Amino acid sequence: MAAGQVLVGMAEIKVIKGTGQLTCLGLGSCIGLLAYDAESGVCGMAHIMLPEAFKDKPVDKPGKFADTGVPALLAEIEKAGGNIRRLTWVFTGGAQVFKYGAGTASKLDVGARNGEAVNAHLKKLGARILAQDIGGTSGRTMVANIETGEVRVRTVQGGEKTLCQLKRVRAEAA
Amino acid sequence: MSHTITIEEIVSKTTDLPTIPAAAIKVMRETQNPDSSAATIARILVTDQALSARVLRLANSAYYGLVRKVTDLQDAVVILGMKSVKNLALVASTYPWMQRPITGYCLGPEQMWQHAFGAAVGAQLVARISKKAPEDVAFTAGLLHDIGKVALSVWLENKVGAILLYAGREGLSFDEAERRILGYDHCQVGFHLATEWNLPEEVAHAALWHHDPDKAKEDQFIVDCVHVGDYICSSMGFGLGGDGLLYKFSENSLERLGLKPEDLDQITDEFVIRYEEYESLFQELAA
Repeated sequence: MAAGQVLVGMAEIKVIKGTGQLTCLGLGSCIGLLAYDAESGVCGMAHIMLPEAFKDKPVDKPGKFADTGVPALLAEIEKAGGNIRRLTWVFTGGAQVFKYGAGTASKLDVGARNGEAVNAHLKKLGARILAQDIGGTSGRTMVANIETGEVRVRTVQGGEKTLCQLKRVRAEAA
Repeated sequence: MSHTITIEEIVSKTTDLPTIPAAAIKVMRETQNPDSSAATIARILVTDQALSARVLRLANSAYYGLVRKVTDLQDAVVILGMKSVKNLALVASTYPWMQRPITGYCLGPEQMWQHAFGAAVGAQLVARISKKAPEDVAFTAGLLHDIGKVALSVWLENKVGAILLYAGREGLSFDEAERRILGYDHCQVGFHLATEWNLPEEVAHAALWHHDPDKAKEDQFIVDCVHVGDYICSSMGFGLGGDGLLYKFSENSLERLGLKPEDLDQITDEFVIRYEEYESLFQELAA
């Protein structure tokens, strides 16, 4: 892995400031959730696996679930000097299998449920969502370059594309 | 749509087709023999020095956390159990070729391995939770479920894009599109290869029916464990290639295994924890 490139593994939350890259590799049904404070340059990413924590089991890694991952990501960003009221959000992933049996998709489809859960938590926060790329059947890799502000998403089928430009947010805010 | 090469030709004409060492296949069969013992398993393994050395290295990996170093194969079988040693022999035999890129399916280095091992861990976990199938057999069948991709890869290069386009246009899963375009899918090629290699029948059946478990006529529970294990591992993004998640999921497999759709989140969580525990074993494999 290149210098300055930080890999965000499953259920992990990583935060960087000012420089470097955050990468979520091999997102299937999982969600790569990114939050960026343009003014402080603090950027955090969570690799969320499941929509909600289990009621009968302690949470080993808060980044694992959407309901614990979003507040944990906010706390990490604040700890690194970011202002959570200024955040811009980007998320990708939530792929799903091609077809389920009739009537069971809503319970089985972890990709769609992950996407809905993240969306619902961000909505509750009144969050500003800059871009999202979710669903479909392809695995994804998300790379956020804090120096250039570019967030890129790569799929095997669709190649690599720029999902959004984080620096534009800073320019607009100025 | 026409196809130009038969399944038989794929297996006979593919150069560089991997093999599983005869000793590993004999161990696989011997563990199913009620009269087998640590001594008989060790006697088979010593006939293949390279395999024996790798099995001992894995047995001494941090994953097992043994207090003293095991240097004797029979001791390894006694300490870890016959079924664990069988799985170690298979892991040691398949890793060298499964870690290579499978370019026909757009799988980079280590990705085929990551997926095969993930499906093995997933199938084993489903077998343990459902109590419907022997865990070690589910592991073996999961590890080898996609061997058809290894053989088909070279013939598929530059065709994946066309298959995906066709699947998208016709509303098909990837295996259905393979069958329409090539005349067969990677599951059928895997079955043929497993039979050619003289692998146990349940392994061959899991390779054949892992995307269409409702059609299995034999070894239903093993097929179901592999179907669900493969689904969990793919959902978590382990070794996704160009075909991604373009497959169907059968909830009938869950029902036959006595599992409910709402159990899957917990099983997925346990799967990821278990897979991560195996990382020390991977370090030994890659060393």
